[in-house]
Amino acid sequence: MRYRAGVILCLMLLPSFAKGQDWVVPEERRGRLSTFPFNDDTRKEGERLYMINCHSCHGDPGKNNYIVLQPSPGDPATEKIQKNSDGEIFHKVSVGRGQMPSFRSVLTTEEIWKVVSYIRSFNRDYVQKVMQVITSSAYPGAVISMKLAYDEAAKLVSVMASATSETGTVPVTGAGVRLLARRYFGLMQVDEEKTTDNNGTALFAIPESLPGDTAGNISFSAQFTDEQVFGSVSKDTILNAGAVTIPVSLTAKRAMWNTVRKAPVWVILAYGLGVLAVWGFIFLVMFRLRDIFTVGTELRERLQTSPGNQEPPKNQQI
Amino acid sequence: MDEIRFNTPTEKGKIDSLASDILKNVRINSGFLLWMGFLFTLLAACLAAYVIQLRNGLGVTGLRDFTSWGMYIANFVFFVATSLCGMLISSVLGLIGYKWVKPISRIAEIIAIAFAAVAGLVIISDMGRPDRLPYVFLFGRVQSPILWDVTVVTTYFVLSLLLWFFPMIPDLAIAKDRLEGRPKFLVKAYEILSFRWMHHEVQYRLLGQAVRILLILIIPTAFAIHTVTSWLFAVTPRTGWDSTIFGPYFISGAFVSGTAAVIIAMYFFRVNYRLEKYLNAQTFERMGRVLVLVAIVYFYFNLNEFLVPGYKLKTGDAIHLRELFTGHYALMFWGIQLLGLVIPIILLLFRQMRRPLPMLLISFFVLIGSWFKRYIIVVPAQAHPNLPIQGVPVEWVVYRPTLIETAVTVASIVLVLIIITILAKLFPVVPIWEMAEEESGKDKITQ
Repeated sequence: MRYRAGVILCLMLLPSFAKGQDWVVPEERRGRLSTFPFNDDTRKEGERLYMINCHSCHGDPGKNNYIVLQPSPGDPATEKIQKNSDGEIFHKVSVGRGQMPSFRSVLTTEEIWKVVSYIRSFNRDYVQKVMQVITSSAYPGAVISMKLAYDEAAKLVSVMASATSETGTVPVTGAGVRLLARRYFGLMQVDEEKTTDNNGTALFAIPESLPGDTAGNISFSAQFTDEQVFGSVSKDTILNAGAVTIPVSLTAKRAMWNTVRKAPVWVILAYGLGVLAVWGFIFLVMFRLRDIFTVGTELRERLQTSPGNQEPPKNQQI
Repeated sequence: MDEIRFNTPTEKGKIDSLASDILKNVRINSGFLLWMGFLFTLLAACLAAYVIQLRNGLGVTGLRDFTSWGMYIANFVFFVATSLCGMLISSVLGLIGYKWVKPISRIAEIIAIAFAAVAGLVIISDMGRPDRLPYVFLFGRVQSPILWDVTVVTTYFVLSLLLWFFPMIPDLAIAKDRLEGRPKFLVKAYEILSFRWMHHEVQYRLLGQAVRILLILIIPTAFAIHTVTSWLFAVTPRTGWDSTIFGPYFISGAFVSGTAAVIIAMYFFRVNYRLEKYLNAQTFERMGRVLVLVAIVYFYFNLNEFLVPGYKLKTGDAIHLRELFTGHYALMFWGIQLLGLVIPIILLLFRQMRRPLPMLLISFFVLIGSWFKRYIIVVPAQAHPNLPIQGVPVEWVVYRPTLIETAVTVASIVLVLIIITILAKLFPVVPIWEMAEEESGKDKITQ
């Protein structure tokens, strides 16, 4: 009996879970912290990113002008969002749910934290807790950096990670690294995740057809996969590793969507010839009126002048 | 003078009796003035509504962001559809060789002219800024079905006008000497418009060539006019419009409404103009057969139009069909399908129902059903935009035509009636010379 009641209770609760009023972030993600302290610079950059990526749904923080959707996006300045921990906000922005898109491949880790920094600027009671290990736990006391280079012959981008401390510089070995290329609408992972070798180097194969800008340049970003160990070091570098891409305007050639001067030839021909043919015949028919008139005029004159005409012309006209 | 037609005494007698029957209605009498007075008063009242729309903008209509094509465009499609009767009666049936369409072909052309002419004006009433109409011609894109539509409606109107006027030239010549007691301007107009017609064989040959060209030319034009009108809808990916059979679907529907309109006009002229001899019960019986044929074809297209998306039931189609079958539009939808199509088809299968009066009543149902059918094609499809939009005002979602919109629509119908009345009152509605030829042809056969 108790079992049955439990099942019924569970079934009754199920819809409320399915509706998803509570967005539960996994335990291990909740406590995640930014690796850098929030300041005016991060807030400013965060605001810029927010306006591009978040504003269309969430509106201006503090103004409650978010759009009406189900579930509601909500105003980031309100209790509803501010009660989340930094880690929870970070997780929700990166993973997304339902109509809220995932920004993992749009924004870098650092950029998401900057957005969090901007959101937190609307909370007066907020005191930031910064991740204790700004430098790596694997290389205590050292500053970790990365260097990107492109080997054109081998079509490889190499990422070299090193840890610099008072005692000198050593390669960072055994660290997972991802290489990301900046595209129109976010970041695209290039090749697979690699681990740095004994020289601290990870090699990424670049597909031959990877489009770059007009000069073949691509903006790359390298990131450690394990931030807890190596810190949130990332490195943005522009390398001449892509194929030269000269963008062609969508209105450059003749197309259905173009102006009338750039209409497809077949449309101009079909329309033009069709109209010309029909109206040509219409004018041909109109000229018949002139002919009818001429014949009538001639006939009338002949009837009026003909001496052999016995009947008056009026009768001829019925 | 062998080259002059209708020259023998028997032929002249025939023309005389036909002309006296048919021309007795060509006069400006008190009934005509009263009727025109009524129509113009109604038009003035309705145009006052249009002035309000012109001053305050389209906000005075029920048109909003979702349903931006409402009653006006539905009415436009209905007008274009009904105008297609001219092509069906004079051209298709005429070219096949049916002689019985001769007395009604001019009535069909008058209806075609009136509806095609006003269809263009209806489009202007749907414009918030009608002063920008010249932009269609100045900046029109040859890729746009809207430009095609403007082109074909204009062309069809001109062709209908010519197809009404050309076969009437001999009649004008016959009539111009028989218009005693009519206003001077009318006699003068007949004199000019008869283009010195002497009933000479050369003139008949020239006229025959011209009419044959027009009869053939109007068929592709008429198909184009309504196919292009259907493309205004079918070239969009919107649920309910995104259909490959919209062209033939619209054309078959046009034949239904056009035939019904001609039958109503036939009945009116038969009774009011006392033309029972020419618009006889046999002609009604045959028009009844035409109506049932085109209605069955249209029923088939309806079946196809709803069954195919109903079988696949894509999300959008499911919402759309549910709205039509059981939802907000169910009453209108089933009313149209049953009262305007299925029941008329069943009734018209019986000979007793193809007599003039029952045909008139059935045609009224078919014609009114046709108008609402256009409404149900145009409006419900717009209520569900492809992009999910939430939190919009309710009047965006639910389209309800306002009084002003209705008045402007009534104005267009009044305008059609005015054009039909003027053309049918100032010119003979039944072709005199063709009927005379018809009768002498019969004489020859019986001899």
